Amino acid sequence: MRFSVVASWVETPLKQFVDDARVEIAVLMHPNGQVLGQYGFARSVDVMTACALASAIHASSSELGRQLEGQPFSTLHYMGRDRQIFLGSIAAPSGALLLLAVFDRESSLGLVQLFLEEFRARVAVSAPPPVLDGPPVMQENFERDLNRNLAQLFGRA
Amino acid sequence: MSSVFSTLTESLIRHRGVLGAMVVGLDDGLIVESTLQIGVNGNAFAALTASLYRKARRSAAAAGFGATGFLELTAEQGRVCTAGGQELVLVVVCESRVNVGMLRVELLRAAEQLP
Repeated sequence: MRFSVVASWVETPLKQFVDDARVEIAVLMHPNGQVLGQYGFARSVDVMTACALASAIHASSSELGRQLEGQPFSTLHYMGRDRQIFLGSIAAPSGALLLLAVFDRESSLGLVQLFLEEFRARVAVSAPPPVLDGPPVMQENFERDLNRNLAQLFGRA
Repeated sequence: MSSVFSTLTESLIRHRGVLGAMVVGLDDGLIVESTLQIGVNGNAFAALTASLYRKARRSAAAAGFGATGFLELTAEQGRVCTAGGQELVLVVVCESRVNVGMLRVELLRAAEQLP
């Protein structure tokens, strides 16, 4: 299984997280579902689906957290019979990011939480600063950027 | 508020050289109950030791040695001792000078009370 990243700064922190936490799948993305890097998926359509679902889950759970506690939940964990899903928000210099991790009995929630903290620290150091005069995210640009990122991940750019 | 396991961790922390005692979920590596001295990173110890114990159990089973009863990790400046049930494990973090024999007896006795 290979790593594929859109931004070069993602590779080292993501690889370290996968190695340490022993997760099967890891995807780093923007909260809007734009992928930045992934490990574990072989097809771009699977990454696109995972990102779209994770983004929707994050939006729902964030709002639920706001309603209940006045602030969004920072992590979400779902335990299935064989596999578990973990979704955590990461504070990067340019804004919040999401990390989706899927793991089985080779890992545990405790390990994922432990190495998420280290991942957050690495991202805070290696992520680029925010672009102050960057163009706004438009509907038409969103789909173009999404397709460009997926093509980059799977070597079709 | 003390849980049903707090008496176990409190009895273990009384030993000279013990820095922390925790009841940890074997599958998730999360702390159920802990009594720790200041400076001990309980969450990290819990997650990593539960993972180590799971692997030790699998190794022992693969070798045909049966169930794992007690796991001791000796490092340069301290020890981690673990004993457990099917769902929970007791993890004790201690200095090198601890009386391991006594601790082992206490730990195995306490582990009998875990599910």
